[in-house]
Amino acid sequence: MSDIDELLRRSMAAPVPRLSPDFHRSVSRKLQRKSRSSTRILLAGYAGVSMIVSIVLMRNQGLGWLPIAALTLGPLAALALVQKSARRVR
Amino acid sequence: MTTDSQLVGRAQSGDQDAFAELLRRHSDAVFRLALSILGQGFAAEAEDIAQEVFLKVHRTLPTFRGDAEVGSWIYRIAFNQAVNWKTRARYRKPHLNDASLADAATSQAGPDVLAETGERDRFLAECIETLPEVYQSALRLHYWLGASMAEVAALLDVPENTAKSYLHRARPLLDVMLRQKGYSYV
Repeated sequence: MSDIDELLRRSMAAPVPRLSPDFHRSVSRKLQRKSRSSTRILLAGYAGVSMIVSIVLMRNQGLGWLPIAALTLGPLAALALVQKSARRVR
Repeated sequence: MTTDSQLVGRAQSGDQDAFAELLRRHSDAVFRLALSILGQGFAAEAEDIAQEVFLKVHRTLPTFRGDAEVGSWIYRIAFNQAVNWKTRARYRKPHLNDASLADAATSQAGPDVLAETGERDRFLAECIETLPEVYQSALRLHYWLGASMAEVAALLDVPENTAKSYLHRARPLLDVMLRQKGYSYV
């Protein structure tokens, strides 16, 4: 059986590939991206649910649609403005 | 030195450095295992599989209860992932890499000898593809990647004697196939 052993050794002799040097960094980057996107989904879900709850509560308190819209969309608009100006500074 | 189980415990409670250490410890072995299943010419694919394996390990880390060795658990995921990839790819032909082209160009043997040995090697590679996955993997790990029997056993998650038996059973099978086709071992 040493013949086949020798043949296998010879026929399989080829350079052994190595992992690329940035393999670890690329896995870490993918993991970060994944955890960032799941955090974003969680935050968006939380924001959505709280918005619905506050609209329902404000409506039950007898507030009209205009103040409800102002109170709900006002903070969102302020947040968007802050984000925009922060991006401009960067 | 911190053990793998301690690292898993820390990673389970959100320590990213512990996970990075696990990745550093096992990435080469996972890559070699994937290579041994896919075969020569699939280094890029083996690296993709190694990445997928560690993303899966990270995702399923909270469910790991420590019933098995951490290494065995990771290698089992790697083995299944690579075999699934291979099944999906339906044995696509590997590309010739630059090194093998250079080897062929600088060989001292005559063209007829080269043609015969090349044909025999191709046939041998085809025969290996017909063997069970664990035999193929054990053969490539040992003969191509130069792994010791202890390493083959660890990567395939079997006792060392079982790993040896894979080679003992694979070799006569290949021997018979080559002889039936009329190839000599010169």
